[in-house]
Amino acid sequence: MVDVAILLSVGRHPVSGRARRAPTDARALEMALGLPAVRRTALHAGDPASPALRDYLGMGLDRLTVLAMAHGCDPVEPLAAHLRSLSPGIVLTGNRAEGGEDSGMLPYRVAHTLGVAIVPDVVAITVEAGGGAAEVVQALARGQRRALRVALPFVATIHPAAPSARPSAFGPARRGRIDSVPVEAPPDAFLAACAARPWRDRPKRLTVGAPGSGGALDRLRAATEAKAGQGRLLVGPSPDEAALAIYECLQEQGVLPR
Amino acid sequence: MIAAALSTVTLAVLLVGLGLALVQARRWRAGRAAAVDLWAGLAALPGRYLVDVHAVVGRKPFNARFHALSAGGFLAALALLVLLALPPLRHPILWGLLAVALATMLAGGLMVGYRRRVLRPPELSGGRFSRLPLALTGFAAAFLLVAADQSAGGVLPVPVGLALVALGGWGLAELVFGVWKGPLKHAVHGALHLVAHPRPARFHDGAGRDSGLRPLELAAGDADSAPLGAGRVLDFAWNRLLGFDACVQCGRCESACPAFAAGLPLNPKALIQDLVASLDEGDDGRAYAGHRHPGHPAGAGASGPSLPLVGPRAAIHPDTLWSCTTCRACVQECPMMIEHVDAVIDLRRYQTLELGATPVKAAAVLEELRATDNPGGRDLARRLDWAVDLRLPVLADGGACDVLLWLGDGAYDLRNQRSLRALVLLLRRAGVDFAVLGADELDCGDVARRLGDEATFQDLARRNVALLNGRTFQRIVTADPHAFHCLRNEYPAFGGRWTVLHHTALLLELVRSGALPVTAPLARAVAYHDPCYLGRYNGETEAPRALLDAIGAERREMARSGLRSRCCGGGGGAPLTDVVGERRIPDQRMDDARASGAPTLAVACPTCTLMLEGVVEPRPAVAEIAELVLAATEPTP
Amino acid sequence: MSEQHPTARRRDPRAERAARTVRVEPRRRLVLSVDVVPQTGGRPRRDPRARRAEAIVQSVPRLRLDWTGKAVGASALPTVEGRGPRAASEPVLRVIDDPACLLFAVLDRPDGALSGHDRQVLAAARLLADAAGGAVVAVVPDGGEDLGALGADRVLPLPAAWADEYAPERRAAAVAAAIARWSPRHILFAESQDGGDLARRVAVACGERLFAGVESLSSARAARRAGGGATELGCAPPRLLSIAADAVAPLGAVRHEARRLDPPPEPDGVPALQGARRLPVDPDGVGLGEADFIVSAGNGVTDWDAFAALGRALGATRAGSRVVCDAGHLPRDRQVGASGTVVSARCYLAFGIAGAPQHLQGIGGVERVIAVNTDLHAAMIKRADLAIIADAQAVMPALVRLARERGHG
Repeated sequence: MVDVAILLSVGRHPVSGRARRAPTDARALEMALGLPAVRRTALHAGDPASPALRDYLGMGLDRLTVLAMAHGCDPVEPLAAHLRSLSPGIVLTGNRAEGGEDSGMLPYRVAHTLGVAIVPDVVAITVEAGGGAAEVVQALARGQRRALRVALPFVATIHPAAPSARPSAFGPARRGRIDSVPVEAPPDAFLAACAARPWRDRPKRLTVGAPGSGGALDRLRAATEAKAGQGRLLVGPSPDEAALAIYECLQEQGVLPR
Repeated sequence: MIAAALSTVTLAVLLVGLGLALVQARRWRAGRAAAVDLWAGLAALPGRYLVDVHAVVGRKPFNARFHALSAGGFLAALALLVLLALPPLRHPILWGLLAVALATMLAGGLMVGYRRRVLRPPELSGGRFSRLPLALTGFAAAFLLVAADQSAGGVLPVPVGLALVALGGWGLAELVFGVWKGPLKHAVHGALHLVAHPRPARFHDGAGRDSGLRPLELAAGDADSAPLGAGRVLDFAWNRLLGFDACVQCGRCESACPAFAAGLPLNPKALIQDLVASLDEGDDGRAYAGHRHPGHPAGAGASGPSLPLVGPRAAIHPDTLWSCTTCRACVQECPMMIEHVDAVIDLRRYQTLELGATPVKAAAVLEELRATDNPGGRDLARRLDWAVDLRLPVLADGGACDVLLWLGDGAYDLRNQRSLRALVLLLRRAGVDFAVLGADELDCGDVARRLGDEATFQDLARRNVALLNGRTFQRIVTADPHAFHCLRNEYPAFGGRWTVLHHTALLLELVRSGALPVTAPLARAVAYHDPCYLGRYNGETEAPRALLDAIGAERREMARSGLRSRCCGGGGGAPLTDVVGERRIPDQRMDDARASGAPTLAVACPTCTLMLEGVVEPRPAVAEIAELVLAATEPTP
Repeated sequence: MSEQHPTARRRDPRAERAARTVRVEPRRRLVLSVDVVPQTGGRPRRDPRARRAEAIVQSVPRLRLDWTGKAVGASALPTVEGRGPRAASEPVLRVIDDPACLLFAVLDRPDGALSGHDRQVLAAARLLADAAGGAVVAVVPDGGEDLGALGADRVLPLPAAWADEYAPERRAAAVAAAIARWSPRHILFAESQDGGDLARRVAVACGERLFAGVESLSSARAARRAGGGATELGCAPPRLLSIAADAVAPLGAVRHEARRLDPPPEPDGVPALQGARRLPVDPDGVGLGEADFIVSAGNGVTDWDAFAALGRALGATRAGSRVVCDAGHLPRDRQVGASGTVVSARCYLAFGIAGAPQHLQGIGGVERVIAVNTDLHAAMIKRADLAIIADAQAVMPALVRLARERGHG
């Protein structure tokens, strides 16, 4: 049995820009709902009127505490202060919010302020019988997994590969309660110093093949070669020839050892 | 002596039957309240029975005949038996009449016996239903002898007469007590269901068809308010429960259901019986002796009036609930006028709105729909991307045109863009003044509503209605029967009343008026697949056929067509819930098309196009009707 | 072209006349007796018949032509083009003895080898260093690489073991200690999984903010994506930044001295994250969206045992087209495509998949596609980086054999 706090942010749909539950935060809540918890406290710092908060309530939360603060404020201090008063064993949150700074720094700053450990990219948590530590599984690149043992309390950020969040239901979303707690938060000077403008997609810098001299010709070659792909075509080879060609291609791509 | 015994037995049985009926009535009266005009219903009962019910029953003429004989004879016999209970009326002529009525009934009973014992259609339930022919013939034959004897003055020895009365009394008791759980439930419940039917407009004395779902009251509720949709059986309105109880287990829905035929775990008959069993405490449904949901054994879950209806260990497995394509084939075939699809949607509403238990893929689509107003999560501003070269006129707020073309979600799909392009070219060719809504058009909400997400549907419906009411047009034309059904039948509840046409109707009008002269008649065989939401939901089966005839197609009918068409498997969010069966529904439908021998299968719905074109080749080519019309009306140089 | 095709010379009357001309003035005089062939001017003529014959790759059951000229006959196999050594001359060694400032490039060395991302971080640090007259310090677990050739002026070695073991807290403490000691002007990290984690740990340890995942970088401005991908945040390059993958081109043809600095002291304290160990992963248990190497089957696959054996032999995640999943050969969560899972594997090996538009949408993010199909004109063949026109049933067992021979089956 463990006391769990979940930090939830308001996400933003990449196409419509509409507020929604942030995908990894929703997974964090899903994980919290699956833990044998004595208490689950869901926290959000921001605007208590955001409709996306109801999406979290619709997952089966009775209530959600909102530390009401103006846009552009730094939520770390108020969140840490609130968490200190709760002193939860596990703090769960998504590994990256969407719609704000999106730097993924908040969990680290909260953990640092609370003076507890942080475990990134978690996909599963099993609390040990005594409740003093937990076995945590992290997601690595290419579907690999790593297990760790972490003493409570800790902050865990949830990876997108964690079990997907249950759908949000309209009825519980409507019935859930949002408790708004006004807090004082300092303005975020770091963010205020940055100039914001709409994002425009620009071509990714290509790093295909060995690095050349960095000249224009190399860049052109890299770009055109990548566009055309390898484009090799073998017509009617013998099975062994075909297998060898595939095998070498797989080795070249690095999915098979050389 | 014998006459008195006969009367006593008859009256006693009828009184006990009445008592049982009252006890039964208490079961479904526990359901939610419903606004029912009982007097109007009572007045309409004979008409609804003789016209609407018999239109359905008459699709199997043998059944109609034995039904008329046995039920007519039985009712007449009962009436005469009650009259004969009064000693002054015991006249030989009346006895003679009774004998005639019973002889009629005996003929009907023998036909029932022939059907149940010799023909044995697989969709019929066994159990108590197996005793029906015995009860019918026993009652009719025994009382026939008594009546004949009485009209002849009573020549039988008393013990023989009493024995006959006892035998007939057993038959009568079996029939009348059958009101409790047996075959004759439908006589009383069916009649009451016709009186208190939740959709009175579907009968011939109303609009003749009523297929739009009823809006769910979503006005801000608190924690104590009733749940949204049906989670327990008592969450259904009482007249819905009455309807379920009226089921006579004839199995016509089972033989019409595309999911059942494909081996998906859904049998509409068993679903209704699951609901009926849930009305009684401790009924595990084992008394039901018909086909189960394929792949799901009987009695797997616990059921009761206060228990959850849907769940892996409940009366109805979630796979059963999410297998339904909402094609309405069961409703079309049901002689008891049960509304299966309404029940499925009520159950889904609870699952989606209260529990969030929508299957994963469907839930993801609903989430995208909420966030972007279209199920694919695409940018609304890109709805016209496929038509940049066509320069479609966009109807802005306050603008006016003759025909408003509702594009629907097909505008995002590569395949359906081809048929939309054909439609647009045809409208241009015919000189129709049309426009589209462009980026303002939202999804019609069909898929959300069929998946039980009434909240998202109502949100979309309100905004679409506001959008459309801000523009001036004569009529809306769409190539998507699902949008057609929503706009025409389901948006009026939200204040949207317009003339809505399916594109086949408009194209037929244009071909007939000469605006689209047929220059290159098709001259090949074409089978036409009726979309459920055009045919059964809206009764539009003629325009597409007339259109195909007009462009010179040699039209072939598939095994199931028109109002009894088989679903393509794409309705009701079924491709999203994706329950696995033994086969796929579209494969079965394609078998129908193959059997017709036509090289081309004409479709009139974007969902049907995708489902049927997804069938592995070799198969008949799938062509949207607009594409065929485009080819047939190519202007001659 | 002219050697391969029998070509007829095109006659050029003007040139012929010029060749016969012996005198122009006062009157033109031509020699008609000799057969003069002009040396220039004849353009080779194409022989369409021969070209077509050459393009035929299959004549039964249907004629299939390949006009790209890429078709290689079986005899020409295998031809993997090797990249020859660069002819460029050795770059000149650049020594920065007295830098105006230091810049840290904190490298990942995931799995004990420098990654392409690490090179990009070095290049980014080089870019900022050259603008400020500074020197780049590569902070990296000790390894054998020549960091000078990648643009590092100094190397600050961390314990070599940290490259393999999971010790983010100690690594962060060591980097923070080094920052305190050397006071670099900028500290750059790789915005990879472990590098990003390290960057954030170092940032909180230093009490500073991290400008995470820089997408474009110049000496005057760094920009990153925020606001759910809708906003670009830009500012003068801050002190701590992490570089997104493929945002900066790696350096080529440079040479720096890579002078070793004294390593920072080993941090003390007991880390909270302990007992890290890799878990064995069943390739078929990996979610398709996450999978790195997918072997996929379509309608052209009939030998399902060979397909399963192939998945095992290559250690690949198995997947299939819609038809295959509909038919029940693979579970539904293994379906690739618009209606299934959209995958972003590094390598996608497709057997017998024709390439319906919905399927191609599903593999939009795949780095390299290898397709085996009997139909040259299948859409999948066009999409593929290596396309093989052959029967999947024959190629699959051969590939299984080969994988077993090479020792990982």
